[in-house]
Amino acid sequence: MNVLLRVLSPARRRWALILALALLLAIVVCGLLAPYLAPHDPNLVDFAHKLEGPSSDYPLGTDQLGRCLLSRLLYGTQVSLGLALLIVSSCLVLGLAIGFLAGYAGGIVDSLVMRACDAILAFPSLILAISLIAVWGAGWKQMAVALIIVQTVYYARFVRGLVNQLKQQTYIVAARVSGTSPFRMMSRHIVPNLLPPLLVVVSLEIGWVIMDISALSFVGLGVQAPMAEWGAMINEGKSFIRSHPRLMIAPGAMIFILVALLNVVGDAVGERKGAGSPLRKKAKTSGLLETANKEVSHER
Amino acid sequence: MSLLVAERLSKTYHASGWFRRQTAEGSAISNLSFTLEEGTCLGILGESGAGKSTLGRMVLGLLPPDEGRLTFRGEDLYPKGRRTRRSWRRDIQVVFQDSYSAVNPRMTIRQIISEPLRNYERQSAQEERRTVAELLELVGLAADDMLKRPSQMSGGQLQRVNIARAIALKPKLIVLDEPVSSLDMIVQKQILHHLRALKEKYGLSYLLISHDVMAVHYLADRVALLEKGTLVDTVDASEMFESGHPTFRAMMQAAGVE
Ligand SMILES: Nc1ncnc2c1ncn2[C@@H]1O[C@H](COP(=O)(O)OP(=O)(O)OP(=O)(O)O)[C@@H](O)[C@H]1O
Ligand SMILES: [Mg+2]
Repeated sequence: MNVLLRVLSPARRRWALILALALLLAIVVCGLLAPYLAPHDPNLVDFAHKLEGPSSDYPLGTDQLGRCLLSRLLYGTQVSLGLALLIVSSCLVLGLAIGFLAGYAGGIVDSLVMRACDAILAFPSLILAISLIAVWGAGWKQMAVALIIVQTVYYARFVRGLVNQLKQQTYIVAARVSGTSPFRMMSRHIVPNLLPPLLVVVSLEIGWVIMDISALSFVGLGVQAPMAEWGAMINEGKSFIRSHPRLMIAPGAMIFILVALLNVVGDAVGERKGAGSPLRKKAKTSGLLETANKEVSHER
Repeated sequence: MSLLVAERLSKTYHASGWFRRQTAEGSAISNLSFTLEEGTCLGILGESGAGKSTLGRMVLGLLPPDEGRLTFRGEDLYPKGRRTRRSWRRDIQVVFQDSYSAVNPRMTIRQIISEPLRNYERQSAQEERRTVAELLELVGLAADDMLKRPSQMSGGQLQRVNIARAIALKPKLIVLDEPVSSLDMIVQKQILHHLRALKEKYGLSYLLISHDVMAVHYLADRVALLEKGTLVDTVDASEMFESGHPTFRAMMQAAGVE
């Protein structure tokens, strides 16, 4: 997706961004309005209509239990996006707190926190999440907690790196000399500088988390039947891949489209913030975004 | 009583981390002593890496020396034991070399200059605006400039903003770490002129850290030569060109004075 964006001229890139945002908004609205838009109850089992093709009554047909595919996709949007937002925002809050503490305090606190993070980072994140779920049992709550634990570490490290860089900025030193207290230092100088790069990370992360949720639900560790979730739907549809491929293709396409749109937007946000400010050239504000991008690409 | 007294200061930087390198580290400052009299400017002249900025950070209270004592108006800057309230904090201010990186790019000029005022004084919005306007005029800027952001100013203008922030609290001592080195010749002259005028007007004292022979000659009353972390020669500014010290001579030659 990124490559695709880079070959476009800046004007077209802007249109691509606007289009992506519009589509994203449309998906969010559809998800929120699922109760009104969905033609059927997503969990209503009706064997009389099982595995039917598209019709006026069932626009995308029905699955092996006779449930309306379109309705399940619509409700699935709520599940995927809602869970992803819950996970990412929890990670953001926890990561900010932990990373700030480690970065600002430095010394032993920093060492201890970072060693703990390294221990978690030593495992590939999805495998660690799977192990945690294996201990706690499958289910969306367990999955959410496992993903939060695994992901927060990246946020904490990222924030700590940014805080460490910021701490050395001359203007932070100058503020200290002029008597600025640690609390004001945080609220006036550090947090405002952390938010833009964090926003970029978050917009890219949501897409990844949606993939993780789908993957875990696909293998049966995350969202459980009968709740409509795209990864779980692919799993249920896999027995019918030859006779009724749309049962897998439809939720697969939703995941692909949503993640692709989120990536386009996240990328564009990163680019704008990176090149937009004239100060970057003059004052070398600190390469925070370069770090942001590096950390994000390290992550996967 | 002298304003600032440094006695046998030493500082060595250590590699941090769990696996310290065992190689010997060079010391940044060793066995350095000087006194700075109230109302005067002491120039610290030294080449790159001599330890000038390290000394500046120690005087600002940001970097404890490994050994030695720094006393400001008779008070130890780094008292042993529990941290006491630092009454000298507002009396020692700073101007750094790079005017752009010394200000938060997100703030307006007014916010930048009023930051020290807000930390120590309770002023109404109106009083604050008047104070900031006065400070801007003192350093040769217009009161309207307080609405601008750093990106809308030149390096020289922004250095004036930095000076305005440094004098906002009417400190006793200002550490000037290469205050004009990143500016062009004409702007350098103007800024040095302002600094001298402010010193006379408020009886300020300066610790001027620089590798610029002419700037030190213009602003300083006494000049100390810093070499490999220690002071090797101290003379009156008026006599610095007569000094026989080889490093002095080399620096002057490089600056084209001789
Ligand atoms: N944070 C640091 N950690 C380790 N070593 C440092 C640190 N800061 C400075 N040094 C070392 O201490 C010595 C003195 O540095 P300092 O910055 O005081 O020099 P300077 O005289 O200000 O030089 P310049 O004119 O280039 O600014 C140098 O050898 C430098 O490499
Ligand atoms: Mg220096």
